[in-house]
Amino acid sequence: MKLKTMAILLAALAGTFAATAKPVQLLNVSYDPTREFYVEFNAAFAKFWKARTGDDVTVKQSHGGSGKQARSVLDGLQADVVTLALSGDIDVLHDNAKLIPRDWQTRLPNNSSPYTSTIVFLVRKGNPKGIKDWDDLVRAGVSVVTPNPKTSGGARWNYLAAWEFARRKYGSEDKAKDFVAHIFKNVAVLDTGARGSTTTFVQRDIGDVLISWENEAFLALKEFGKDRFEIVMPPVSILAEPPVTIVDRVVKKKGTEVVAKAYLEFLYSDTGQEIAARNFYRPRNEAVATKYASTFAKVQLFTIDEAFGGWAKAHQAHFADGGSFDQIYVK
Amino acid sequence: MKTRFSWLTVVLTLGALPFGAVSPAWADDAGEIATLREQIRLLDQKLRVLERNQQLRDEAATAAAATTPKITINDRGDTFASADGANSIRVRGLVQMDARFFGADGGIANNAFVLRRARLITEGQFAKNFGFQLLSEFGGSSVSILDANLTVGINRALQFKFGKFKSPVGYEIIQSDSYIFFNERSIVTNLVPNRDVGIQASGDVFGGTLSYQLGVFNGLADGGSSTNTDFDNGKELVARVFATPFRNAAGSPVQGLSFGISGSTARAKTAAGRSSGYRTDGQQTFFSYNPAVIADGENWRVSPQLDYRHGAFGFIGEYARSTVNVRPTATGSRTELTNRAWQATAGYVLTGEDSAFAGVMPRTNFDWSAGTWGALELLVRYSDLRIDDAAFPLFAAAASNADEAKGLGLGFNWYLGKSVVFKFNYHQTQFGLNALAPAVPTALLLRQDEKAFISRFQVAF
Repeated sequence: MKLKTMAILLAALAGTFAATAKPVQLLNVSYDPTREFYVEFNAAFAKFWKARTGDDVTVKQSHGGSGKQARSVLDGLQADVVTLALSGDIDVLHDNAKLIPRDWQTRLPNNSSPYTSTIVFLVRKGNPKGIKDWDDLVRAGVSVVTPNPKTSGGARWNYLAAWEFARRKYGSEDKAKDFVAHIFKNVAVLDTGARGSTTTFVQRDIGDVLISWENEAFLALKEFGKDRFEIVMPPVSILAEPPVTIVDRVVKKKGTEVVAKAYLEFLYSDTGQEIAARNFYRPRNEAVATKYASTFAKVQLFTIDEAFGGWAKAHQAHFADGGSFDQIYVK
Repeated sequence: MKTRFSWLTVVLTLGALPFGAVSPAWADDAGEIATLREQIRLLDQKLRVLERNQQLRDEAATAAAATTPKITINDRGDTFASADGANSIRVRGLVQMDARFFGADGGIANNAFVLRRARLITEGQFAKNFGFQLLSEFGGSSVSILDANLTVGINRALQFKFGKFKSPVGYEIIQSDSYIFFNERSIVTNLVPNRDVGIQASGDVFGGTLSYQLGVFNGLADGGSSTNTDFDNGKELVARVFATPFRNAAGSPVQGLSFGISGSTARAKTAAGRSSGYRTDGQQTFFSYNPAVIADGENWRVSPQLDYRHGAFGFIGEYARSTVNVRPTATGSRTELTNRAWQATAGYVLTGEDSAFAGVMPRTNFDWSAGTWGALELLVRYSDLRIDDAAFPLFAAAASNADEAKGLGLGFNWYLGKSVVFKFNYHQTQFGLNALAPAVPTALLLRQDEKAFISRFQVAF
């Protein structure tokens, strides 16, 4: 009798779970070049989540310049998670609207950056302008394509990479500023996002060199052919650590906190790291990194903390109103 | 050996001559071509850069347009709207300056300039479906709020309105002051309520061929406007249906035919329940109840309405019947009185513009230098209001009140633009007296026809 009662209860419980299996929708607000990566990743996560909970999860994607995307979230875009180009763009979600806690970056391993990348040069096949290092970008007659640091996270990495290269080589902040100013004198088109710059360089045939995310450059080779472009890895570049977080205020309101957290944690899983590497992001996972070691050239990388004391300081000095970029670009 | 070398030198030199003579030219051509190619490449790059930058500017402009609020300033007012149009505020105004002249009336009414209306209207919407309107009147002896209401739109077929606004019993009364044919509405308007406080459901159904209003209001006497005070517990139920059955029959002569009927019913008690007076086209009172009369009991109204527009021709007709239960004093016996009125008004726009319920839109504005004159419209109206015979003498003195007023109006409107109009109206009102009235009524107004010439300069936007 007891066994029968228990069976009925279990059946009822199972029925309850079956009845509560429900479709869930997340919105991932990300930066420009992650489109292809998250298409593959979202499909894998949906499969993982279905197997784990029985729920169908759909992840909608929104892409654009990292700074612009952050402003959209501040303006009310209901992002469950943000996966932006730099922590400074995520910080504003706390600073301006308290959408996330101040310590958001400590909630996941590696400062909440599940993958890294760096900044490289994409040039036309045969490298007709002989571009090998940052110095070559200031030469007369070299047309450079890079996005606007005011709106693009990738552009800020580009900017800081060039700045730190010059500061190390020429020995002072003033000379670094002068160097970056010379690069921007060679910039013909200032797109709002990294994908726009890729379009300018690859599809509009403008410029001699595109300063690009490494994964975006690889993607250009894959999409448009190694017979048209080649990647030049400068001897020194910056370690870009695009971070991720849930947007606490939104997930609490929508009741998606659990699935949103799982979504970001899945980025650190073997599957997530494998997909990142396949999409030309440098994985954090050692085993996956070893497997894809041949894909990514060895290069001397410096971090934002080492070179600039973190994103907050870098932003204030270079990208805030009146910062070095304004001084350079107004000129 | 020396000789052989010399010969060899000569041969080689001669052999090389043709080439030597040509190769500098080839070199020049090749260099020029390379230079031209480089110039073309640079020009091509410049063109591509210009195109791309223009594309980015266009994209930025499109993105900015999606979030930039819009400001519209035209002859319908000044509108400030959010980029998506869901939120907006519109400021409008209406100023009417009259010059009134009365002929052969024995000096009853003064010839005068009158600031008839001076209104500031603020209206708008929030989140697309919620509207509001505030209408302030500065034209009287004191500032007052004529309309103050909120609208909640469910869909085209169902909208709710709360607050103070026009009770939809009469026809001409619900037309905007800016667009009525004559300077003043006809005497039929005396028998219907004006602005009241209440709740109304309304909408358009059957593809817009039928509109309806159904409302509950505090209730008003004939011609009254709410002072935001209800003098009794009774409420007035108002309903109206209005059909434009042929509105989609493009080109048909009956496309502009509309008709409908409205009515109200209520129980009223207190002096506020009966009319304080009926006025002529010249705005002089020709009938009013004795001060001691109070309403007590049911009152109801019915008003069939007709509107016809065909090109430059316009016509409206309406009939109103108002029944009220009144007592001559608080303790007097109750009597049911019914007053009736009707009017027929026609207009014709001489310059060919369409006649419309929402006014005449001149094809050109008056502009002396350009030789354009705006629009000209001719008007004629006949109206009649009859007081119930039973009103005399208990409820109104036969010697000082008319029991009928017949009005003939002729008019000429000159639209200098959509917003600016000159109106020139002549009204003659003939009074009828009750059988109990003396041969010579005590009210000077009633001793002869009222002849009023009312001209108006109006700015409405």
